[in-house]
Amino acid sequence: MEPRGSSGVGSGNSGTYTPEIAESLRFEEEIQSLIDPSFDASSAAGGSFTALLGLPANQAVELLHHPGPGEPPASAATDTLRLPFGCSSTFVERAARFSVFATDDSPASSSGGGLSPGLKAEPPDSDSPPTLPAPAGKPRRPSKRKECEKSKAKAVAKKSKSAEENTSAAKPAAEENTSGDKLPYVHVRARRGQATDSHSLAERARREKINARMKLLQELVPGCSKITGTALVLDEIINHVQSLQRQVEFLSMKLAAVNPRIDFSGLDHILSAECGPLAVASGCGGGASDPAMWASDTAASTGGIRRMPAPPQIWHLDVVHPQQSSTVWENNGVAHPHFLLSPATSLVGYDPASSVPLNSNRLKTEL
Amino acid sequence: MITAALISKRNPEGSTSENKWRTGARERAYRRRLVEALCRARGGSASGPRAVKEAADSALALTARGRSRWSRAILFGRRGGNLLLKARGRVLVRRGRPRMVAAPRPEGKGVRDSLRTLRWLVPGCRKVSTSSLLKESADYVAALEMQVKAMRGLFGV
Repeated sequence: MEPRGSSGVGSGNSGTYTPEIAESLRFEEEIQSLIDPSFDASSAAGGSFTALLGLPANQAVELLHHPGPGEPPASAATDTLRLPFGCSSTFVERAARFSVFATDDSPASSSGGGLSPGLKAEPPDSDSPPTLPAPAGKPRRPSKRKECEKSKAKAVAKKSKSAEENTSAAKPAAEENTSGDKLPYVHVRARRGQATDSHSLAERARREKINARMKLLQELVPGCSKITGTALVLDEIINHVQSLQRQVEFLSMKLAAVNPRIDFSGLDHILSAECGPLAVASGCGGGASDPAMWASDTAASTGGIRRMPAPPQIWHLDVVHPQQSSTVWENNGVAHPHFLLSPATSLVGYDPASSVPLNSNRLKTEL
Repeated sequence: MITAALISKRNPEGSTSENKWRTGARERAYRRRLVEALCRARGGSASGPRAVKEAADSALALTARGRSRWSRAILFGRRGGNLLLKARGRVLVRRGRPRMVAAPRPEGKGVRDSLRTLRWLVPGCRKVSTSSLLKESADYVAALEMQVKAMRGLFGV
């Protein structure tokens, strides 16, 4: 290969050179010639490479191809690229990709820089798969730039929109400032970059309404504020609703087991007056298994609302545990309503003759 | 909650709907109604657990005063012997939630599937729009929490 060095590529480099392979071959020769002599232009490479940043992808590639007047940048660019390439038909695409990355934001350029050491280890034979997305990526990139601009503009415009919202919320009848269907005729400034026809406005209003309601729900259900993403939040809400319904069912089952024994007639004013926890004799074995449900309310039990088993003949100690119950009462001092259900389906009360006070004046004991 | 305040601008009442469930007044009202319902249920039908649950739910719906959609669905779903129906004097028979049908787990993780499951869970919200569904479910969650709290309080926890 002839050392072209810093001299121009010369022969017949015109932009109308259509066959890509021939271009790339020539490019390969250039690059190989360029890489062989040592270039210390690495420091200048960054600066001159960035000169290519302002160019769209195609022009940059062409410049790389034909480094005529801008040859030092091209050489420096190729130096930064520094790719070992065998079959260099892929080099065009790779160069294109690099330049395309450079046209994006700075993190992309650093990723472009990060790609090169990765690509160094890449065997050239495996270049063919990445070539396919790269030319497809090329036309995408310029549009991505426009999207970046658009999103930036949107971010800016959103602030203006929220300012608009604040001012319009101050208006008396403005529910949703974007929908003109409620109010007679509202001129609304749409956000920048978004459509302004009535359909989109209505859709946007609807979406905002739904999002606001979702936020309300999120705040209501515990633990949803941290979750981002509508689907997970909805799953969490569903779980919460199901668990609440199950709790209601469970509690109602308990209540149903107790229900035939309990007389609620005298209860209304007591309930509304005290609003305190009531001791209820538990159902079949479930209550016996969790004494914690009853044992914790010393305050209420000093007040002494206790459910008394209704028919007077039920007033008896359980035959199985006579001593236990009495010791329970004495140990606790204040009578904890610790009822045990015997298999004979009779409620265990406490001995009326015991020292535990019965607030019979507060409760009606008839069935 | 600022968003709640923004939404409630369209409501004639001042406070938001689910905050009302948190107040003690609602809970006391619910307890009263629950006890009445239990009394009545005990005297009347068999005191199976389902009857108790239905009574509790009806009491809850009644406490909501029929303002929310799910409460109306519950009240009109129960046939006969309901306070609201008696007061109104006419029986509106409407299909409530079918009993003993388990709601399916959210099939897939999509938003639409979860919304469908939510429709199933909240009574009376089969055909409403999404935004109404979300509003109703917020109200429903608040009401359920109050119900659980009241029933627990009844038991002495």
